[in-house]
Amino acid sequence: MALKTSASRKGVAGRTNGADGLDTIPLRYGDDPYVWACWLYYEDGMTQGEIAEAMGVSRATVNSYLAEAREKGIVNISIEPARLASLTIAQELKRHFGLADCLVVPNDDDTRPLIGRLGAAGAQALSKMIKSGDTLAVAWGRTILSVGEHLQTGPLQDVTVVQATGGTTASFAYTPELTAAAVARAISARCVNITAPAIVGSAQMHDMLLAEPLIREQFETLARANRVVFGIASLRPNSTIHTSGFFETVPLQHYLAKGAAGVLAGRFIDERGRPVAGPLDDRTIGISLDMLRDIPTRIAIAGGFDKVPALLAALRGGYVNVLVTDAATGAGILRADGVTSLDGKLSQRQRSVPVANSYRTHVKKFLNNPNDVVEEMLDGLIAAHRPYIETVGTSRRALVARNGPRPGKVGLVIGGGTGHEPCFVGYVGKGLADAVALGNIFSSPPPDPIVKCAVAASGGAGVLFVYGNYAGDVMNFEMAAELAEEQGIPIRTVLTTDDIASSPVEDKEGRRGVAGNFFVFKIAGAACDRGLTLDECEAITRKANDRTYTVGVALESCSMPQTRRHNFEIGPDDMELGMGIHGEPGVSRERLRTADEIVDAIMDNIFKEMKAEAGDKVAVLVNSFGATPLMELYILYRRVEQRLAAKNIEIEANWVGHYCTSLDMVGASISILHLDRQLTELLYHPCRTAILTIEGHETNGAARG
Amino acid sequence: MQTFDNASSGAIVLSMAERIIENRAYLSEIDGKIGDGDHGVNMAKGFGMAAERLKGTDASLSSSLDTLGTVLMTEIGGSMGPLYGVMFTEFAETIEGVEKIDAAAFSKMLHAGLAGIQSIGSAKVGDKTLLDTLVPAVEAFDTATAESKPFGAALEDLVAAAEKGRDSTIDLVAKIGRASRLGERSRGVLDAGATSCAILLKELSDGARARLA
Repeated sequence: MALKTSASRKGVAGRTNGADGLDTIPLRYGDDPYVWACWLYYEDGMTQGEIAEAMGVSRATVNSYLAEAREKGIVNISIEPARLASLTIAQELKRHFGLADCLVVPNDDDTRPLIGRLGAAGAQALSKMIKSGDTLAVAWGRTILSVGEHLQTGPLQDVTVVQATGGTTASFAYTPELTAAAVARAISARCVNITAPAIVGSAQMHDMLLAEPLIREQFETLARANRVVFGIASLRPNSTIHTSGFFETVPLQHYLAKGAAGVLAGRFIDERGRPVAGPLDDRTIGISLDMLRDIPTRIAIAGGFDKVPALLAALRGGYVNVLVTDAATGAGILRADGVTSLDGKLSQRQRSVPVANSYRTHVKKFLNNPNDVVEEMLDGLIAAHRPYIETVGTSRRALVARNGPRPGKVGLVIGGGTGHEPCFVGYVGKGLADAVALGNIFSSPPPDPIVKCAVAASGGAGVLFVYGNYAGDVMNFEMAAELAEEQGIPIRTVLTTDDIASSPVEDKEGRRGVAGNFFVFKIAGAACDRGLTLDECEAITRKANDRTYTVGVALESCSMPQTRRHNFEIGPDDMELGMGIHGEPGVSRERLRTADEIVDAIMDNIFKEMKAEAGDKVAVLVNSFGATPLMELYILYRRVEQRLAAKNIEIEANWVGHYCTSLDMVGASISILHLDRQLTELLYHPCRTAILTIEGHETNGAARG
Repeated sequence: MQTFDNASSGAIVLSMAERIIENRAYLSEIDGKIGDGDHGVNMAKGFGMAAERLKGTDASLSSSLDTLGTVLMTEIGGSMGPLYGVMFTEFAETIEGVEKIDAAAFSKMLHAGLAGIQSIGSAKVGDKTLLDTLVPAVEAFDTATAESKPFGAALEDLVAAAEKGRDSTIDLVAKIGRASRLGERSRGVLDAGATSCAILLKELSDGARARLA
């Protein structure tokens, strides 16, 4: 990419717009804020948010400077012709064959051999696609071996590489064993070989070998593959297929005579992509074409003009949905399939679409008087949840469970700020919390309602306070604990600290309590309801907290009803990792990634701390921060399940939905409770609350509210 | 020796409430950069409630501060409720029954408030909290008095030191409270508690200075 910052700027009106801060433009930019903004963006690589801060203008203004600068010609963006050509071909291949993705390497660089360039490109594609927990089938070939030599990935866990075919003679360098091993080594994956020859002497031998338990197990791994990477061989006279030693010469002639155009993973296809039957079919040990086509990600890496018919055949047959090739081959495939518009496109310059500049300053909300939101919410909430809760006297900030507290039972008091609904009030009811103290939005309740809750919850066996670890909550609950003890009620406290992103493990006690509250409250409520002593209830609750791990991610900030503005801004392409439940910014700002990649980042963090072994059981909570819909939560849950399954960790129970929110924040958190026998029993202990009702023991399924 | 009258100075608390309510949006905005953005809203709510109870009562300064402290302590919650609640309650108790407040009584009052805050919170100067405003303000007042400056001049030194302390929080990294989870990212932003504390100390000092006789 080449960038030119034009010195001539006709008709630039920005200097008179009088915005604050612009009077301090550094001299070298003249007095032109457009040039300044462009320089910071394109040359210094700053984000629009950073530029806004540096220039002392709003982000929206920066956005419009950048958009207008392109229209005014202050900035010209041009793409090198060779790269533009390969991008255009890639786009056209993707569109024409309906591919999931396509990478085309330019042909301008003929100094390196094609195999090496394809290998590097294939490695790049593969490193983007391979994820923790994957099973990757790898076919043999020169290009694929080159992929293995170039491959570098970030830290991945639980990846299995499986050889897609049996083995061959070691007389050439790119045998199936070596190719699979090279890829496995590059990504530190477990490598499963198929310990049988790729082609055996007879169909009987084929059947006997496949009946062997060891080979059957290897094939079961192959059948689990969710991605496959393979090359495509042509049958032209100069193809390596004739010299590789993989096939005997006589049967090859047979396939050629029957119209075979290409070979993938040892199987022959004709120019339409249909299988070609022949003498090797029932003597070949390896992935079948049907198995191959059922794999979700099918990455073919091949190039060279002689391979055009073979590649076209594979594309037509639907064996490929990610293609890595070179520009000449790509263009050849398109022309061979009758795409004529390509040449026109290659000479055309793509025009940029101007960036829309819509900027809203207020968030819409259902409100009467913004100052009354908490009171009005309490009106509705107390009415809606009347079967489960009632006020303590006239205090609406202290609510007690109907049929909750009873003589001889330890009382459980929870509480915190509002804005997290259904937390905390949704977890008050028989078998769970006995009373809840509620504060203002995101703000701890004062001591008075907490003391009222303690008195209401007390059954003479002491009261357990469980709440999130925040400075304000700690101050108010501690004062309340002192006041309650003066009234003769013994108090114990467990602070929830499940947010593992909020502090390093050395400062575990400094962590904040977030959606994992759900599990800690549930376990504490069950322990209290079973009539355990105050000591026992405290110890079990502490254990539940120690074994609960949460990480959250926000895509958009929440907005307070009083201000109706976002509490802070998250850039259009950014996300906030490690987000808490108060709209306070998270731990790091990162580029937005795919749902699976986000779950992977979260689960990698959780796996780092949770010492779960294969066969262990967990409970999973995928929680919305308020504005993220169930549809997306299920997408997250899907990946959580895959990651746990790859470690053979069993999900004993799961909850997906709004359990601990942060007003209208867009985002979600994942909480895992690492179960043991005692915690599992307590998790299933019956309870009846507005949000969570458990009737009795259920196993191995979702216990739902 | 300069003094001001306890009985007729209750209006100082009303004007403190006015300043906080005026600055509601500003305090919430700076809080939103590194906290949860509710500081201005909660402070305005508490001070507004106290002002409602005080209006037309013609209460003394000590009794007005007691009402303010009690409202903040019992009605507001959060971390600011107890912290400011205990500070104003301590202020009130120290000057209760003092008819003419002189520099020594004022200093005693400030120290009692500071000790109250330190008894329930664990922050230190430099942690990016309201203590970064309060501690240097109290020290500046004591230094001025030790140098035999008149009460009025000492109050001016107090305000200057409070504002300087508030500004010092821009370059600090939060060590306590929600903002502390941000580490380095909390640098470059004023602390909301330090800012509201500077507003309150300025209004209290200016009100006292205007009443000196």
